Amino acid sequence: MSPLQTFNMGTEFRCPVQPYSRSNYGGVFFMAETEEKTGPPVTLIDPIDMSQLDPKFREEISSMPNGEELSACFACSTCTAACPIANQWNFKPHQLIRMILLGMRTEVLSSKEIWECLTCFECQERCPQKVRVTDIFFDCKNLAAEEGNVPENILVLAKSLIETGQLYEVMNDWEREDLNLEPEVPGLSTEEVKSILKGTRTGRLVGGDE
Amino acid sequence: MNKMPVYNLYMGCSVPANYPNYEAAMTKVAQAFGMDLVYMEGVACCGSPNLRAIDYFGWLVVNARTLAIAEKDGHDIVTPCNGCFGSLKDVLHHLKHDKEDMNRVNKELKASGLQLKGTIKVRHFVEALYSDIGISEIKKKVTKPLDGVGIAIHYGCHLLRPQDVTEFSPETLRELVEATGASVIDYPLWKQCCGATVLPVNEELAIRLARDKLKSMKEAGAVFATVVCPACGNQLDLQQLGLKDTYGEVYDIPVLLYPQILALAMGIDQEEVGLSMNRVAADPILEHLTG
Repeated sequence: MSPLQTFNMGTEFRCPVQPYSRSNYGGVFFMAETEEKTGPPVTLIDPIDMSQLDPKFREEISSMPNGEELSACFACSTCTAACPIANQWNFKPHQLIRMILLGMRTEVLSSKEIWECLTCFECQERCPQKVRVTDIFFDCKNLAAEEGNVPENILVLAKSLIETGQLYEVMNDWEREDLNLEPEVPGLSTEEVKSILKGTRTGRLVGGDE
Repeated sequence: MNKMPVYNLYMGCSVPANYPNYEAAMTKVAQAFGMDLVYMEGVACCGSPNLRAIDYFGWLVVNARTLAIAEKDGHDIVTPCNGCFGSLKDVLHHLKHDKEDMNRVNKELKASGLQLKGTIKVRHFVEALYSDIGISEIKKKVTKPLDGVGIAIHYGCHLLRPQDVTEFSPETLRELVEATGASVIDYPLWKQCCGATVLPVNEELAIRLARDKLKSMKEAGAVFATVVCPACGNQLDLQQLGLKDTYGEVYDIPVLLYPQILALAMGIDQEEVGLSMNRVAADPILEHLTG
């Protein structure tokens, strides 16, 4: 397999920072293979627009919970191979990690991929470099949320949490009684959870004072 | 057993609301083995994984609070839900390794007179069953063993991974299923996600994932499937009804919560474990009970 394929972003997406570009990487020529080829390049290359990158993004993520190992990524794509849904993503898991390292903050934080992550931890479990990939996607979602960028249905769940202290509430207590269970869940107390979340980001996102 | 083990039972929100049959079966099994499951006082939902996605700190505090309440009497937390298990384990793991966050969280808990030290243990119900009761004691109570019928196990992501956080070994559940007399069916996608977590943002994808799992189970020859999580149960059981319309496929694999299977093999009546509440008719399992 050509090393270029590791970075082939597919047709849907033209990465503005194609890392294998000769012209953009200060005279760094990539792999003898590139030299031998004639004709059009395997991957179309757009110049980097440095002004679109946020060089602090990688530090931002590294300093978040479980983000320490971010820069250990050597782009082997094991995470992508492990991901059950990568085949329908425009940005594959290893590309998202690379995009973070390159500073593509806007693209990462506005991607649908971070929200579709199953949080199944298959990628993280297999990373040979111990990059906590799934945890890092959680960090990305938190940053996106801080900017108010959260899918509508997740906000609905957040609202449920702040208003009821629960994601699910007992509706059919007769079902419980039929099974000799207390109709109301013993020990359940939702006030504290509601009050905690009013003071954290959930409160800022969905209020909870109405 | 020397004395009756006592546990802090953390139910979470989904089992009591959506799967009282799971709760009932777990309670019956625990009673039979003298496990004293005490419902925790003053707790609610763990918020996972949606809360973790949008409000990491809020998620830490909510779960640290639950952990701190249990730490007061020191009895292990036991939960029947992989979501709760994953949340509590992950928060505990994180706070034990991050002093700064531990201090921040404890500052929040101080107002309610709580403090987390990080000494509490969190376990899934099946782990407690496996380690504290043990396979040999369980087998002694199996009076109506299954006839070797093939059962596929869906463990669920947040029970298995990340392994350094969950510390769960899959053999646990495998041996528990085998203790009922059933055969465990190996299938290629045994580790794969059921798709429950993506349901709020991409339903079509979630359904495809459930379908992949069921297909893999069926092709490997599974007659039944078992789960130990309400969200996984919802995906594999309830979604089967919809697969007729979306894919034109009928899988007809009854999905039972593990304690239901154990209870039946122990001679507990099907009504006591709410077998009729399972969406894909689960009563065919009765034909496989012997003795």
